Amino acid sequence: MAEKEYEPKIIGFFCNWCTYAGADLAGVSRLQYPPNIRVIRVMCSGTVSPHHVLRAFQKGADGVLIGGCHIGDCHYLKGNYMTIKRMTFLQDLLKFTGFEDGRLHLEWISAAEGPKFAQVVREFTEKIKKLGPSRLKLAPKAA
Amino acid sequence: MAPAEVVGISGEPGNFSVKVRQKARYIDMAKCISCGLCAEKCPKKVPDEYNMGLAKRKSAYLSYAQAVPPKYAIDKDTCIYFKKGGKCKACEKFCPTGAVDFDQQDVDRDINVGAVILAAGFQPYDPSRYSAYNYTKLPNVITGMEFERILAAAGPFSGHMVRPSDHKEPTKIAWLQCVGSRDVNHCDHSYCSAVCCMYAIKEAIIAKEHSKVPLDAAIFFMDMRTHGKEFEKYYWRARDEQGVRFIRSRVHTIDPVPGSDDVNIRYLDEHGNLKDEIFELVILSVGMEVAPEVMALGKTLGVGLNSDQFADTSSFTPVSTSRPGVFVCGAFQGPKDIPQSVMEASAAASAASEMLSAARYSLAKKKPVFAERDVAAEEPRIGVFVCHCGVNIASVVDVEAVRDYAQTLPHVAFVENSLFACSQDTQGLIKERIKEHNLNRVVVASCTPRTHEPTFQETITEAGLNKYLFQMANIRDQGSWVHQNEPAAATHRAKDQVRMAVAAVGLQPPLQEFDLPVTKAGLVIGGGVAGMEAALGLANQGYDVALVEKKDFLGGHARKLNHTWNGEAVQPYVDDLVQRVTAHPKVQVHLNAAITGVTGFVGNFVSTIASEGRETEVPHGAAIIAIGGHSFKPTEYLYKENPRVLLSLEMDQALREKNPLVTGANSAVFIQCVGSREPERPYCSRVCCTHSVENALRLKEINPDMDVYVLYRDLRTYGLRENIYKEAREKGVIFIRYDLENKPKVKQAADGSLTVTVIDHILGIPVHLNPDVLTLASAIIVKEQEKLAQLFKVPLNNDGFFLEAHMKLRPVDFATDGVFVAGLAHYPKPMDEAIAQAKAAAARAALILALDVIRAGGVVAQVDPAACSGCQACVGVCPFGAIGFKEDEKLAEVNQALCKGCGTCAANCPSECITLFGFSHKQLYTQVDEALAELEAEMEEAAG
Amino acid sequence: MDRLREKVRNLLKDGKVAGYLGYIMKDGHPLPHLFTPARPEEVGQAIVAPGDARYPLDKLLQQLAKGYPDATFAVQVRGCDERGLNELYKWGQLDPEKVVLVGVACPQDQADYCECPGPWPSVIDSGNKCKPVLRSQRVDRIDALAGEAAFQEWMSAFNKCVKCYGCRDICPMCFCKECALEHPDLMSTGKVPPDSIFQLVRALHMAGRCIDCGLCEENCPADIPLRVLYKKGNALVKEMFDYDTGSLTTGLSPWKFLGDESTMETKPM
Repeated sequence: MAEKEYEPKIIGFFCNWCTYAGADLAGVSRLQYPPNIRVIRVMCSGTVSPHHVLRAFQKGADGVLIGGCHIGDCHYLKGNYMTIKRMTFLQDLLKFTGFEDGRLHLEWISAAEGPKFAQVVREFTEKIKKLGPSRLKLAPKAA
Repeated sequence: MAPAEVVGISGEPGNFSVKVRQKARYIDMAKCISCGLCAEKCPKKVPDEYNMGLAKRKSAYLSYAQAVPPKYAIDKDTCIYFKKGGKCKACEKFCPTGAVDFDQQDVDRDINVGAVILAAGFQPYDPSRYSAYNYTKLPNVITGMEFERILAAAGPFSGHMVRPSDHKEPTKIAWLQCVGSRDVNHCDHSYCSAVCCMYAIKEAIIAKEHSKVPLDAAIFFMDMRTHGKEFEKYYWRARDEQGVRFIRSRVHTIDPVPGSDDVNIRYLDEHGNLKDEIFELVILSVGMEVAPEVMALGKTLGVGLNSDQFADTSSFTPVSTSRPGVFVCGAFQGPKDIPQSVMEASAAASAASEMLSAARYSLAKKKPVFAERDVAAEEPRIGVFVCHCGVNIASVVDVEAVRDYAQTLPHVAFVENSLFACSQDTQGLIKERIKEHNLNRVVVASCTPRTHEPTFQETITEAGLNKYLFQMANIRDQGSWVHQNEPAAATHRAKDQVRMAVAAVGLQPPLQEFDLPVTKAGLVIGGGVAGMEAALGLANQGYDVALVEKKDFLGGHARKLNHTWNGEAVQPYVDDLVQRVTAHPKVQVHLNAAITGVTGFVGNFVSTIASEGRETEVPHGAAIIAIGGHSFKPTEYLYKENPRVLLSLEMDQALREKNPLVTGANSAVFIQCVGSREPERPYCSRVCCTHSVENALRLKEINPDMDVYVLYRDLRTYGLRENIYKEAREKGVIFIRYDLENKPKVKQAADGSLTVTVIDHILGIPVHLNPDVLTLASAIIVKEQEKLAQLFKVPLNNDGFFLEAHMKLRPVDFATDGVFVAGLAHYPKPMDEAIAQAKAAAARAALILALDVIRAGGVVAQVDPAACSGCQACVGVCPFGAIGFKEDEKLAEVNQALCKGCGTCAANCPSECITLFGFSHKQLYTQVDEALAELEAEMEEAAG
Repeated sequence: MDRLREKVRNLLKDGKVAGYLGYIMKDGHPLPHLFTPARPEEVGQAIVAPGDARYPLDKLLQQLAKGYPDATFAVQVRGCDERGLNELYKWGQLDPEKVVLVGVACPQDQADYCECPGPWPSVIDSGNKCKPVLRSQRVDRIDALAGEAAFQEWMSAFNKCVKCYGCRDICPMCFCKECALEHPDLMSTGKVPPDSIFQLVRALHMAGRCIDCGLCEENCPADIPLRVLYKKGNALVKEMFDYDTGSLTTGLSPWKFLGDESTMETKPM
């Protein structure tokens, strides 16, 4: 029985004003990136709670990508100040519990950075592919 | 209407007839869907002007990604069809909507308007004429604009910082300032372009950030003009922390280095030593000039230009041209940066509004109100429309399969494909389907919601549905266009995104927007020039204004000034302004008054004015803070210890009163930067160089033989003010430069005479001056602003000035809606800029007052009071201060009038008791679950 | 003990407090007890609860405060309890003006067991300061493990969870009216052991809030090393935001304000 090649499942939470727009620009520019990502549009990266991220991992996401405006450029002025506090903390907490480092990634991508968006998605997908299926997904109940 | 140009005007203010020539773009804008196929198939490559010629575009093209309108055009001057008698036509062949129209003609139209605003901009100076810089011969000598495109992520090199000749990453870059500015030799631009010092510093810092190896950045300049808000600190950081080299020297020639692409700069340093340095890239900081077409436009419109070809305006009416009813803003008014341009734009709008206020809403069409069906009791019945977008989606994604798949999803009652979901006829079809199938929610799977969400929302509103009962699945810009080589995977992704959208919209309740009343009155705090102009700006637009002034007279510090920089008399203007204000039936002046309390929010403030023992409560919809600034009183240079030492305003007074101390002086000295640009006050007070030069000229008028010295650090006569600096030098005013480490020393003799000692920057030795009068150009500071800042809940920056919402794009707004700022309280500025900012604040305030109601709600947050435990985790993270805390009930409450819908609070509450409507926790979890739905089975298996 | 009882006696006599929340021996068990001025004779039986019979007095105090919002209470606090009070003040659940401390310094063996960096309160009415434990070896050991090994350990621990909510129920810092751990949208229901998201969300909420009293771990019927996880959360908050959980001088929790500027850098991919 042939094994289906492992294709990671990636969830992206992108803020409407910057990263989502940057993703659209990548589209307009016809820049290609792997189709493993499923995008959830939010108004601000500050809308994303660590709860949402944990739920994504719990339900089997191999990677979670959060995209927001650069610091200082947030459409809502400072919503992204909370994003970086929360996500950086969560990254370290997850690492402590043995979660593979790097599955949660935060990137500031502006509406003008179409090429950067495509590159980030490409690199992230590649990285998650190398890491393999998430430990939590494979063995949610270890012996 | 683009591309178009104005070719004629007639009539008078309030009733102009303007002839506009709409130029053919050979593409029907109504049909163009911006798919880009015409550009893709066009065979003709030409230099791309947007990328300063560093890249190529096609003859069929979109000017740039963010162009508005986002429609393509055909460049007639290069298109093969036009140049080679009807050949090619590739674009027409491939356009999916038949939008290409080679027969399109220029069309002249007459439009009837009440006012005209010129925002014609500038063109960058072309340094080809600087033969010694070899700009045309050496590929690695470029302009600042070209470097901007090189650094841009969407630019010709995708943001890789490389030099043009060999695409190597430069490690040693030089900037030469004042190219095309402050120069009557190579060009006729004696003025300063005001922005180049800052943009060179910015480019240097970004270049260093981009470079993987340490980069040597050197800026060659005459005066470093960082006179804007926060700019001085930026300059210090560049110099002290980032290591950008600032070399005060005007470079004459750029020579090629034989055998390499590098260039050599030979220059004299400040000590007179001749140096050679090789750079890998040289950037010419080119200035601004008025384009010939704009000069012609000025002529067509009968608008006077000054000697530098910018629109001629008076300091007291900075946005009014010489032709009544025609206003001007931005670089065409004079060289200026972004914050200044934005302020002038609002000021021009205000000036036009004042003129046209009687006709407000006369041409406005009322939007029809559609009855909304109450769907609260209904089960979701979702209609899914999957778009082909011609071939844009359908060529990669199997749109029929997506449609069929959507049919299987819970609560989906109807599915259909369309060729172009955004087209007019499909809108009609959607409305029909909603009625036919009793749909109460709609999902459109097509392009990005950022383009057409409002279109579809309007459609469903017309069909009787609440506009929030709508979701889009982006299967084009983030689907077919980016997964072109993986059609099966793209289809799979499209299905998943549709499933997520269907699940989210199924949970979506109708969202209510509600109307808040607006008190159509304004409150202006501060009775100086800015305050008065702001009050008049509002009053002339028909609104009642309360003007609160601390002292017992109007006029503020303007009462102490004699002339503007170009010689206009200030006092007659101030007298006239005060008269207009006090006589205006809509302005209520409160003297000897202060604000002691503020309650409410935008549209609904109530402020308490305390005056002469009485308190009055004044309701208002908006407030403008214009409390002005004060002269810093220095403790150095013998100020207050010797009667010959004056501050700038005291010198003005002495001139006005013809004080013999000044009129009989044989020698006068001005010391600049007293208290400014120092560690305790790390900002530039912006007006003092110009003020001192202007007074120096007055002194020379009184006595041409008077020895007049100006001791400065950087002479900041920016913009057109440079012209009086030139005039002062020509009239024999002597300018001696000093630096912060070697400040001038002032001593007094027993008889009260002064000796000022300064190290001359050319001789390098101390020079002793004996002025009869010494003027200290001291800093501008703000006083007593904390209380007001607290009352209105607006922030101050580190230097005590009011902090606007956005330094560049919202220079008069605060993050708190309904409160605005103008004048010195925002930052030191000269009178013309204060007036422009005051008018801008009036324009922004009027936007609120012009509304009958403020629409609030929709995508806003709400606290569930039953679940709130009063921990206030939400209150502190709202960027807009929209969440209040009710002390007695220990509950947080969102003011939905101020809430902007960012959701930061909702994500912060540990209980999740705050919901952001439209993006509720349940909706987000559901989208996550649906995105990963296929994995559920796998994981159950793995769990065993 | 006598010093403590004397203080309590005086507090009750002076009418400064409506009551003293401490411990009393009842049928051989040390139990929380509210000593009131109406029954001064009970003070003679007031005790300091031994280390293995501690209760979340902060939690009981919150309930007292809700019932008697205008009354001031004295309460027995160890170092951790006082940290709890300080945080509860900042989270708006208690009013510092209405709390009087009766402090107990922990003995060395208690401090070592808890790996406590602050085993005494600011006011000491019983006991003497001992040597604090500045580094948690339990945390360091996990930090040193490779990812896979750490994951195995944590999953084994999490899999023993029976979702009894004991940790949350006993925690003095858990005051939410509606607990995220009971939200059906976030936590899948009907599963035991629950998904590890249950433990991770709790750890998330405890960061910058946990006062390291250890009651959760002691209460857990499955012996899950909860304290280690929450200690790490606090250590991260200290490292990233320089926030000392439980200190009055450290300002507001980083989770409760935006800040004038953000200087954090995103981590590289």
